[in-house]
Amino acid sequence: MNARRQLENDWYQGGIPANVEIGRDAYLDSSYAFAACRTERAAGVRLGACCGVYDRATLVVGPDGEVTVGDYSCLNGTYIICRQRITIGAHCLLSWGVVITDAGPSPDTSFEARSAALTATGHGQDRGWPCVGEPQPVTIEDNVWIGFDAVVLPGVRVGRGSIVGCRTIVDRDIRPYSVVVGNPARVVRQLDPDDTESARQRAFQEHLRG
Amino acid sequence: MTTPRFHRLEPGSTLAEDWFPGTIPENLVVGADCRIDSSFCFKHYYSAAPIGLTIGDRVTIWRTALSVEEEGVLEIGDSCYLANASIVCSSRISLGARVMVSGGATIADSDFHPLGPAARLADTVALSPLGNRESRPAIDARPVIIEDDVWIGFNATVLKGVRVGARSYVAPGAVVVRDVPPDSIATGNPAVVRGATSS
Repeated sequence: MNARRQLENDWYQGGIPANVEIGRDAYLDSSYAFAACRTERAAGVRLGACCGVYDRATLVVGPDGEVTVGDYSCLNGTYIICRQRITIGAHCLLSWGVVITDAGPSPDTSFEARSAALTATGHGQDRGWPCVGEPQPVTIEDNVWIGFDAVVLPGVRVGRGSIVGCRTIVDRDIRPYSVVVGNPARVVRQLDPDDTESARQRAFQEHLRG
Repeated sequence: MTTPRFHRLEPGSTLAEDWFPGTIPENLVVGADCRIDSSFCFKHYYSAAPIGLTIGDRVTIWRTALSVEEEGVLEIGDSCYLANASIVCSSRISLGARVMVSGGATIADSDFHPLGPAARLADTVALSPLGNRESRPAIDARPVIIEDDVWIGFNATVLKGVRVGARSYVAPGAVVVRDVPPDSIATGNPAVVRGATSS
């Protein structure tokens, strides 16, 4: 964990932890994204090729957390809050204010458990995120678009090709190619599964520079 | 180089290696072992009260806007954790002990602008680059009270005049515009009480 890397012309001086793997041609606005990344895993964070991590995108990752982001995915001011495992597929569009988290209280959690977590975190220098409840991994499959300020809660799998509308609260699994909106999320449409491998190859031929 | 993630929060201090070139205001009372990530949290802190902000023991403040206007008074109880939230205070906001304010949450005690069209138009002029901010029209504000052991979820909003009762849970994305009784679960927009918290 000693060799933090510094980005060129970064306004934030914190640098990128050594156990963050960054794929070829990926782009990061600032190492501020990793200011609360505490993972001690060998490959704690893996960003795929040609990912973009823009604006205030932030990965809050606990000591045992692992986050994977697939190729050509875009985190534009998105918050990933991970204690165990968050997997984001390829070609995902994640908007500003979106929260994706694999841990935290549910409505059924007792207030004693919540407050014990707050009491426990308030000591010493390293104020990690309060740990409440068991983590439940979250998976965002390939080619998912999540609108601004939406929240994806622990244990959820969002199926391939789906769209989550802005400010939607997703508290259960979403089947592939669904459009969901609202609080709590409800399905309002199904999409054509036309994002085939040949469509992907065509996109590479037509939409990459040089 | 590594920057410390959290600094000791002390009134009137400058934080070592702070990325933001600010200072911690002097008109604070801070308890034991409180931590903050940057003076940026005070970028919109303008309280002119003798004590504009009172903080209990073992409080953690991370990337949270503590926006307090001149007349505003903000109180934060023991063992609170404020993570990437916005507190916008023009009269009084009070958080009890062991309150979590999660990422993207907003607590505000005013309407920000007048409701009436003529007064609102006047506000746009007073707020403009050439305007006189001292002359802004009156804006309705009523205190917000969050009692002990309340958990405010991601991207939730608590608006003016609301009291959230002890031990309640404000679900992610809820917009709370009315009082929430103790031991309740508030969800949705506008938030409604849907059941009781377990204990």
